[in-house]
Amino acid sequence: MMGIVIIALSFYFTLTVFILPEKYIAKEQLVPSPYLEIELSSVEITLGESFRISSISENKGDYGDIHIVSAAFPTEQNIENIVQIASYDFSNSPQFIEPGEEIGAKYSGGLEIVSAQYPSIEAMNRPVHPGTKYVMDLQITPDEIGEFIVYMKSIDIPHSSSVSHFPQSGQLDHQGEYVLVYTVNVNP
Amino acid sequence: MKVQQKKQFSSFEKHSQKIFFFGSILVSFGILFVTVGGSWDITNHLLNKPETFFSLPHALMYSGVAITLIGVAISFIGYRNLHHFKNIFSLPLRIKFLGIALLTGAGPFDFVWHSNFGLDGLLSPPHFTLIIGMLFCSIGGMIGISRFLKLKSSKNFLLPYLLILGVLPVWLAGSGVISSLTLPFSNTDYFQFNPDETFAFVVATIAFPFLISFSALMASKISNFKPGIVTILGGLFLLIYGMTAIGPNFSMLESAEFYALNLIPFVISDLILSFGKSKRSSLLAGGILGSVFYMVYYPYVMYTYNEVLLGKLVSPSMIFHTYFEIMPQVIQFTIIPAIIMGIIAVYVANRFSKKISMY
Repeated sequence: MMGIVIIALSFYFTLTVFILPEKYIAKEQLVPSPYLEIELSSVEITLGESFRISSISENKGDYGDIHIVSAAFPTEQNIENIVQIASYDFSNSPQFIEPGEEIGAKYSGGLEIVSAQYPSIEAMNRPVHPGTKYVMDLQITPDEIGEFIVYMKSIDIPHSSSVSHFPQSGQLDHQGEYVLVYTVNVNP
Repeated sequence: MKVQQKKQFSSFEKHSQKIFFFGSILVSFGILFVTVGGSWDITNHLLNKPETFFSLPHALMYSGVAITLIGVAISFIGYRNLHHFKNIFSLPLRIKFLGIALLTGAGPFDFVWHSNFGLDGLLSPPHFTLIIGMLFCSIGGMIGISRFLKLKSSKNFLLPYLLILGVLPVWLAGSGVISSLTLPFSNTDYFQFNPDETFAFVVATIAFPFLISFSALMASKISNFKPGIVTILGGLFLLIYGMTAIGPNFSMLESAEFYALNLIPFVISDLILSFGKSKRSSLLAGGILGSVFYMVYYPYVMYTYNEVLLGKLVSPSMIFHTYFEIMPQVIQFTIIPAIIMGIIAVYVANRFSKKISMY
């Protein structure tokens, strides 16, 4: 009887503590990879008119936990009467981030924190399967003449390397993360 | 005429006992629903971050509460009509009443909490009320089932296996209490209820091995070391955890083979207990069951140990890697205390099972 117990326990502990963990750790971690396509309806408008910025994002990598698309407005302090969400198919409700709020930085997933300098909208889908696409369409009606700037980016979590964010280079935003920059001239 | 009356009276008494027993089964079954829903809800929060109170896991949990409520009502009807054995069933009924009061109170409390503070974490006043209510109801159900089976001393071979339905919800509800006190899933925008990481480390190391060993030994002892009880009990626990914590997470499906291996220590302990039937064999089985807690509580127990050992941000698809990454360290720190707690649980289970059997 004791012999059977010892053999069975040895078999169990060898497999669960030594063999299988080694096999699992040797396996590469899943790397999701976002891609973003942006369409701007107009680059010149007159005050009082609206323009649209449409984003189609996609996970071109492996299965991921979270897919984020962010639209930020560095020339504004309040977007309440300026930006409207025209269409949106992410699983989670959009988050409206106001200046002064604490937000994650440098793709740290919240381990590094900074204070938001301008408003933004964050769209989130959980989880994200390979090849899935998501749409966020914003209708913007600027209330001042001049340049109206929109920063767009997408991040997938787990964030393992530069493959897990889009764009991978260019201008940095207040979170120290790369963004695509779109400018619309608002004329009198 | 008197003989006829006596016969009728005796049959009425037996009928009332059966009603009480049926109520206890329903209570345990209801709590099983609540605990399965609860475990699924944790996974759902991790994977999908639901934004509303109305979700499938919540529906399962609250239908479990409704079944439990019906079970308590039926137990009360059965108890009211008892004459000779009222003292036997009064303790489980009182525990069930306490449990159901907490459970039914937790529902509206949770809804009000959600309405005022958004979605709460794992540990919050309404959730803790719910979990403690679950624990009391499951203990009441288990004592009710055990005492009925003891009283009946049936020759029906299968009847003692109903004890599994009594013990499993106690084990799952106890796991819920420990998880809420050890997992770092309780910080929200309004409240920071995450437990202190060292406290969580110690509680998990002591309480999880104790609970596994206690549950298995209780079931085995009350059933008089019936073969198969520990295997079925452990197998059902693994099945429920596997289906609610591993199954929904696409990135962890591969590790199902690892988790399935955990049936081995339960089979071994079952063999030791049913063939040994001695104090020494109980201690050996308790030690074995305590020692495997880190594997049995895969995957979420990793979050508790990660806080102290790595402090890494772990998103759901990384659970798998991080769990195995810290495994050698966790086993090195916890194996001795886990075995000791498994052995201590044997003594506690012995005393508890005697208390249940004596009325």
